[in-house]
Amino acid sequence: MNGVLTLLKPRLWSFLNGNVARDREPRNIKWLLFGGIGFLFWAGIFTVFYRVLRYFQGVEGFGDILAYKLLSMVLITFFALLIFSSIITALSKFYLSRDLVLVHALPVSPAQIFLARWIESTIDSTWMVVVYSLPIFLSYGIVYRGGILFYATILGALLPFCLIGSALSAIAVVLVARFLPAGRIRTVFVFLSLVLFVILLIAFRMMRPEQLTNPDTFASVLLYFRSLETPGSPWLPSTWIYDSLREVLSGNRSGALFHLALLWSGAAALGYLMTWIAGAAYFQGFSKAQTTAERLLPSRQGRGAAGAWLLGFPSGPTRAFAVKEIKTFTRDQTQWPQIFLMIALIVVYLYNFSVLPLDKSPIKTFYLQNLFSFLNMGLAAFVLTALSARFIFPAVSTEGVAFWIVRASPVSIRSFLWVKFWVYFLPLAILAEFLIVATNLLLQVTDLMMILSTATVLLMVPGIVAMGVGLGAAYPDFQSENPAQAVTSFGGLLFMILCAGFIGFIVILETGPVYSVFMASLNGRGLALLQWVWLAISFALVILLSVLAVVLPMRLGERRLKALA
Amino acid sequence: MIELTDLTKRYGKTLAVDRLNLSVAPGEIFGFIGPNGAGKTTTIRMMGGTLSPTAGAVVIDGIDMAARPEEAKRRIGFIPDRPFLYEKLTGMEFMRFSADLYGVGDGTFLQKAEELLRTFGLFDWSHDLIEAYSHGMKQRLVISAALLHNPRVIVVDEPMVGLDPAAIKMVKDILKDLARRGTAVFMSTHTLSVAEDLCDRIGIIHRGALIALGTTRELKRLAQAQQADLEEVFLKLTEEQTLS
Repeated sequence: MNGVLTLLKPRLWSFLNGNVARDREPRNIKWLLFGGIGFLFWAGIFTVFYRVLRYFQGVEGFGDILAYKLLSMVLITFFALLIFSSIITALSKFYLSRDLVLVHALPVSPAQIFLARWIESTIDSTWMVVVYSLPIFLSYGIVYRGGILFYATILGALLPFCLIGSALSAIAVVLVARFLPAGRIRTVFVFLSLVLFVILLIAFRMMRPEQLTNPDTFASVLLYFRSLETPGSPWLPSTWIYDSLREVLSGNRSGALFHLALLWSGAAALGYLMTWIAGAAYFQGFSKAQTTAERLLPSRQGRGAAGAWLLGFPSGPTRAFAVKEIKTFTRDQTQWPQIFLMIALIVVYLYNFSVLPLDKSPIKTFYLQNLFSFLNMGLAAFVLTALSARFIFPAVSTEGVAFWIVRASPVSIRSFLWVKFWVYFLPLAILAEFLIVATNLLLQVTDLMMILSTATVLLMVPGIVAMGVGLGAAYPDFQSENPAQAVTSFGGLLFMILCAGFIGFIVILETGPVYSVFMASLNGRGLALLQWVWLAISFALVILLSVLAVVLPMRLGERRLKALA
Repeated sequence: MIELTDLTKRYGKTLAVDRLNLSVAPGEIFGFIGPNGAGKTTTIRMMGGTLSPTAGAVVIDGIDMAARPEEAKRRIGFIPDRPFLYEKLTGMEFMRFSADLYGVGDGTFLQKAEELLRTFGLFDWSHDLIEAYSHGMKQRLVISAALLHNPRVIVVDEPMVGLDPAAIKMVKDILKDLARRGTAVFMSTHTLSVAEDLCDRIGIIHRGALIALGTTRELKRLAQAQQADLEEVFLKLTEEQTLS
């Protein structure tokens, strides 16, 4: 056990050393900001659940069933999240971390390394699920007056629940890594889970939940409620934790204790099984992970059609960076599932517009269509922000340890950043316009709205891209093993907040004048002089804001990146 | 060809390089040696334009690095101590990338790139991803790419680390050949036998300051150790400096 504790020390010391780092002050600000946002989420979850449970309590006869069904669904979701996050974390911790070669050269057994890594992985993959499950349990405790025993049961049940999730994932990872190189498993696993997620998402959309508001379908809803009372599978650990909480809430202490015992014995048995399997298969899997996986697609010699087109770029350095950016992006297999997910989300996004029940609304369809089109500008811009957060914000960080090449090359940091800007601006602008035009066509909006929304989005896209590139350059992380995670950093958060503010301002600035123009044309009237002035000022401000959103972040990024030297 | 004037770098309270003054003539191979943490890599990085000095100037072929960094860098072939590269590009693509950056025309690129890749024994792997290369292969690729644009100055940090004996001999021959054709080579190294064998002049840096400068013979005279090899001279001079 001493060996395991020693192996955990570097992690603990690194964490403690973070508090005595030179840049302590900015760190404190970051912690405060993250802590504040985290607490807001926490409080939000508590409020929502508290209100929902209070509401359920008021439903005669049905309320408790709904509340327990909700708890059961929440626990199944948590379990699925635990498994998913544990698999991803365990893969990195067991097979892909950079320090593993050094650790395996130390005079400790693979079993000790495995155990130390599993403890780290369990903490990393479960702490967030635990923290955000607490407000839900707290709301149940308050609404159902759970008492001390309820909270003690939660604490006693959450630990084995997390251990079971983490142990199951570790077993799966160790077994699969025995046959497949670990680098390939991550891609395959992420890809498969995203396929599953997309299928569920599309299936859910195809069920058209908006029909639940239609009284004609109530017969099926009643059938649905009848199915609520069906108990969960007895083999699922989420059922054991659910049963222990349900028993303690209904005052059956011995029943709660029995299910708690099931959880603990399940965790102990799985822990034993895991160490046995790891002893037999972990090191072989680690050895396999050292070999480079073969490429899925062989390289083509020379330049393809896209390359030939790129040859037309005006300058060598621009061409060099653009070609490099496109090739490294498309060859990184970890990007593929995310692109696939993006396409699926866009399909669902467009499908949502095609099934909007506009004709059943009490508000005039003509008015509603144009209102949706207007709001859609903001919505599409938020979709673009999410994409930028994932793909554009980490673009500078993805240079990684090879950033010396940029610094040593005869190209200014400014040019380097502008190449990044253009490489991402073009596809994003095309995607944005496609989204806007397609949804406008589905909504059959007026020509005025079509022109206004396409022009506004075209103004917003450069700002979003520049904020992604600029702030990504201002807060780079060249050492990260996974640059895509840069978006969860302080800079990433700042990017999302600024983007939301930018989009919000543009939409607010346009709302008033567009409404007056729209109403004037609807009523066949002209605009008053004051309205013309208002319109001109608003649109001038929109243009000014869009220009500032491009210039300022790019300058900030350039300055901060230069100052790194 | 290379002029360092009062070059200084501070990291917070630590003085990494202290008012360094040096010049390297065209066709000269200059060796830069010193103990760990002496300031060699910091100096090299400032010369390569990847690190800005706190004070002083780096002038490459008459061009001030601070005033016209792109112009100055275009004249340098920079080879860092650790060959971090774009792992998802092939060797040939990385050569093309370097060619585009340094303005090597399409007409001459292919012939030059193939010639260099063959010289460094990488041609057969030129269409494989860099992520599959060994450390030594990456190092050889970095050197090939740095020579692609016929630089007037080579700045190289620990060129022999990770190379096999055959590659070391090849790099030595290439550097000598380049110097014969007028290229200035500034090289930092821990391998004193390489410095002794290759360099026209050697500078010894210790705690950020240049403590000795001259040919191997001049350094031996300075250390009052005529019969000793460079390793003994180096140990004697740095020890004296530590004690004083």
